[in-house]
Amino acid sequence: MSEHKRTPALAAAALAFCALAAGNVLGEQANRERYPDAKIDPAKGVEGDVGFSDTIQYWRTEADLERNAGMADKPDEQWKLNGKHMDLDRIDLHPGHMAVDEGAALVKKLAARDAAFLTCLGEGTADLKGKAAAYPKFDAALGRIVTVEGRIEHCAKSVLGEEIPQGKPANTKISVYFKSLSAGVPIKVDIGDGKVMEAYRRGEQSFYARTGQLNMACASCHVPGSIMGHKLRGETPTTPFGDTAHFPTYRTPVGALESIQERFARCHNQMRTQKLKPGDPAYTDLEVFMTVLSNGYPVSVPSAR
Amino acid sequence: MKRTLRMLAAVLTGLTFAGMAGAQGAPAPQAPPDYSVFPCLSYTQACGKVATRPPVKKALDGPLNGNPEKGKQLAQARNRGNCLACHVIPGGSQPGTRGPDLSHFGSSGRSDAEAYAMVFDMRTVNPETLMPPFGTNDILNEQELRDVVAYLLTFR
Repeated sequence: MSEHKRTPALAAAALAFCALAAGNVLGEQANRERYPDAKIDPAKGVEGDVGFSDTIQYWRTEADLERNAGMADKPDEQWKLNGKHMDLDRIDLHPGHMAVDEGAALVKKLAARDAAFLTCLGEGTADLKGKAAAYPKFDAALGRIVTVEGRIEHCAKSVLGEEIPQGKPANTKISVYFKSLSAGVPIKVDIGDGKVMEAYRRGEQSFYARTGQLNMACASCHVPGSIMGHKLRGETPTTPFGDTAHFPTYRTPVGALESIQERFARCHNQMRTQKLKPGDPAYTDLEVFMTVLSNGYPVSVPSAR
Repeated sequence: MKRTLRMLAAVLTGLTFAGMAGAQGAPAPQAPPDYSVFPCLSYTQACGKVATRPPVKKALDGPLNGNPEKGKQLAQARNRGNCLACHVIPGGSQPGTRGPDLSHFGSSGRSDAEAYAMVFDMRTVNPETLMPPFGTNDILNEQELRDVVAYLLTFR
């Protein structure tokens, strides 16, 4: 695939073919430069990092993290922990933990107005335990891919007539609470669902598409041979594997909760690319792609980064 | 315990900054820059159908006439050239490591025109490059490009 950017006509043909093969709405974007495909196998889930960044050996389990804790203090090694060492900070101090309580209180308040709000979140039951680990998923009744944040927005609107849009603090707090009820449960996005895989392929296209004034793709910083593992001024970009597990997260440099799609928008701003709204179908597809790369890794909410 | 303290410090820093922004009546927010003339990921907005600007092999017109001092400021500014994001350059703090070390760029034997063409659009030299096309994508204007190139060529 690496030669396909050397010959624009070939690149266009290759992209058109990929787009057709994926039933992709991006089929007309034949003149979009792409970062070479890293050939990720969705069936491997988070284990796809083996032979990719190969850093999973340091962060796969808590025992691995404990054993390699010293790397956190070494500037050239810290990126190999993929931020997962921060999940071992089991203190009840950061606002991510407060968001669990605030989200729980919000759900209680909204469910008191109409108990159907809770059963909408739980798709028929009021018990949310373990359910967030299966998101994003295709909802046949809605006819679209639904994320946890998308489910919250939908249930607030359809049951209570209330707007709790994705990206707003109330939505993110409820999401933190919802996902905390799956903490420790391995993520299992259903790649056996054809609609989920269509979304995965669209998200994959977006991951490699160069965008914006800086002409960069997600892949420019997050695949082997890219900037991943190298210094990008004060930062060192890490592997995309396992990354969605801790979102929404409390961002210490920002001082706020942030959902994964808000993180996409922040990245795009840094890439000088037109950012999209949380809940945008392109961001939802990208979340599907990214979350499949976390399949098998436990939900790690609440968290701070 | 060490980790706990570090986390606490980070959280308090975040809260402090968040508090400051609210309390001191931050200056009127600037209009966000408009990047919509460049490709984006949207399936419905116009930028979702914008093509990548093709590589441009730009010849240097006349003598370079760049100001190295202005070039230095541009090269180090995060919101302008930000060469430091990927390159080591003399006197720069927190350099990136993905791009080649530019410490001796001026001794590499490249002409003004060659250096200018690389900064204008590195894709004409290496189609696989990660370097943004500073001229083609209007990141720097004509004089700014000349200033940055003049600065780079001072590294001996």
